[in-house]
Amino acid sequence: MNTLWIVVLAVVVIYLAYNFYAKQIDKNVIQSDAKKATPAKMYMDGVDFMPTSRNVLYGYHFKSIAAAGPIVGPITAANIWGWAPALAWLLIGVSFIGWVSDYSAIMVAVRNDGNSLSAVSHKLISPRTRPILFTFIFFYLMLVAGAFMGIMSALLAARADVPLGIIMLGVMGFLAGQMLYKWKMDLILVTAIVVVVTLAAMMLGPFRAVNAEGKLDLTQGPVSSAVIAFNNAINKISGDQAVMVVTDPTNADPRIPAPGADGKRPSTAVYNADTGEIKTMPSYLFWALFLLVFSYLAATLPIWRFAQPVNYIGFWVTLLTIGLSALGAVLAPFIKPAIGAFALEPLKTWGFAYEATKAWQPLWPMLFVTIACGSISGWHALIGSIGTARQLEYETDGLPVGGGAMFTENTLALLALVAVSIVGTGGGAGRFAAGVGNLLSVLFGDKFLVFGTALGFGAFMVIVLTVTQLVFRVMRVTLSEWAGDVFPALKNMHVSTVVSMFLTILLVLTGTWVYLWQLFGAANQLMAALSLLIVTVWLREQKKNPSFALWPTLFMYITTLAATLVTARNLYVTIVPRGGSAAAGAWAMIIIAVLLFVTALIIGWDGYKAYQRYGKGAQAKRAPAAADD
Amino acid sequence: MNAPSQPEKKTFWQAAREFLYGLFGMEFAEHALEMRASLESLFMLGTVGDMIGVPVLPPYYSLRLLPYVIPHIATWKRRVLREREFSDEHDYHLEGL
Repeated sequence: MNTLWIVVLAVVVIYLAYNFYAKQIDKNVIQSDAKKATPAKMYMDGVDFMPTSRNVLYGYHFKSIAAAGPIVGPITAANIWGWAPALAWLLIGVSFIGWVSDYSAIMVAVRNDGNSLSAVSHKLISPRTRPILFTFIFFYLMLVAGAFMGIMSALLAARADVPLGIIMLGVMGFLAGQMLYKWKMDLILVTAIVVVVTLAAMMLGPFRAVNAEGKLDLTQGPVSSAVIAFNNAINKISGDQAVMVVTDPTNADPRIPAPGADGKRPSTAVYNADTGEIKTMPSYLFWALFLLVFSYLAATLPIWRFAQPVNYIGFWVTLLTIGLSALGAVLAPFIKPAIGAFALEPLKTWGFAYEATKAWQPLWPMLFVTIACGSISGWHALIGSIGTARQLEYETDGLPVGGGAMFTENTLALLALVAVSIVGTGGGAGRFAAGVGNLLSVLFGDKFLVFGTALGFGAFMVIVLTVTQLVFRVMRVTLSEWAGDVFPALKNMHVSTVVSMFLTILLVLTGTWVYLWQLFGAANQLMAALSLLIVTVWLREQKKNPSFALWPTLFMYITTLAATLVTARNLYVTIVPRGGSAAAGAWAMIIIAVLLFVTALIIGWDGYKAYQRYGKGAQAKRAPAAADD
Repeated sequence: MNAPSQPEKKTFWQAAREFLYGLFGMEFAEHALEMRASLESLFMLGTVGDMIGVPVLPPYYSLRLLPYVIPHIATWKRRVLREREFSDEHDYHLEGL
């Protein structure tokens, strides 16, 4: 297998799925009609409800949904099962489930006066569905923040060529906000300045850090050696002793090095290969604190001041890195066939072999929660129903915008899979970065490899960090909404932000990375199953054939519930017996898993009853939102 | 509003330009619009708030200002009377997850 085959396969599958399945559903089942007035036209207020060209909306919707999920998921899955299952799920998932979820959530909102999915669920299924959906959101956010904080702290502490780019991203974010909104400078000029400076800082990391043999030696470069000296100085605070020691039976913790040629993992300054212990050093805590401060600014300052410009710069960095890597992937088989060839095994394991005391990662159901975004994501449905559905000018734009953006995001996930598959060694993020470096070296020559790899690390960090900062912003609002009446202090945004961060950092320090990621994936996919359930019930109520949403609903629902149980079992069997702080973290995650499971069962039962009710000809009650119009 | 009842046919370059605007520029335009709209909502509430049951200004002054705010009343009422969730506010948009 080589990179070109993936490109050809993706083009063919997406073309067939879009033209011969999605368009048929749009025409024959949903029966979108350009002559029907959309909420954007009916309720135009110039702000939320605003008819917008489908080309503009396609770009906007894609930018809204494309983030860390489609990058991290395929990398993690390829490392556990090999690239073939990940590729199959990405292509089959997006063709039969992913676009269905995004597109139909938008169309349901369009046909329901632009109400969000939670408002529609209140009306169609039962009133209690709405608060349960919000419960989901809070724990979903906590899990995603925990998973991302862990991986970022480890990367910043371990890779001395990464921090400068991230610090500069924050500085440029402040500057961009000031230049755009206060100094009213031209967007193109501001973009040119801040994006170029950020990219340059990212590539400065390994500057002059290549030794005489042409290999990367981070102790040599002026930037990387300064970062190493800084980390060492911080570690002196505890006399170079670990602040705490944890273990990870899944070996997915970003601090654990990849196996060498002999298949054994080497010991490092923070990892003991004999005992499996991972040291949490003060430098790790420092970078975790740095990320918390970064996210705190994003969560509490006005959004134009910091979070929005940082995301904007991050998007450019990602787009350039991924776009050029994609070009490298297409050209590699012609220019450098050795780079274009896949080095990762197509199938590492099916994962079904069961051992009572070991982690169990069966392909079904775990693959389907490890790769969420890229195949299908519940979050897209929420975004689509809140924003995009209120700006759709014509009903017929729903498919190119919702479905089209999902198919485009799928290509992003495929590229991440390609990047990680062409490199034979390294951990998840490291393998991705090395893959990006290799693909960029196809375009810019071998000497660019170390800079391309630094850019790969930088882009990975940027993607994850821009998500995390927004997560904390939404978390603090959610917390204020829920608990603000009981604990008035939580209405203060600084208090709610700090509490959210405290809960998250507890998960980071005590949790196990891969389980955090899989629980997050399960929460996300459960949300997808619930949004598909709402669509199915709506189709039933409208007397339309619900099959195209019903089967994906059942598959996602059963798969995700099973995955939640398997993750809880893995935590109980592999982490709890070890005792200490890790056991506390494991118990916290088990409780979250059980909570997700029970709430999903409640919504599933309510959905089943609603489905039966509408089958007998019942009419939907009007939601308060609709009745107030 | 006299919007065409069918989507317009656009050239490739027009479509590409719109796509790039959606990708890079729209979020800033949206945010500026929302900031302006929230200020205008406040102004309308102060001047003609009695229309939605919040009498802030004595009716005498409201009536004198009425001719200036008439063009905005319909959209303003639609905007402020709609039931909202926290995710409706731009500051809490859940994009990019």
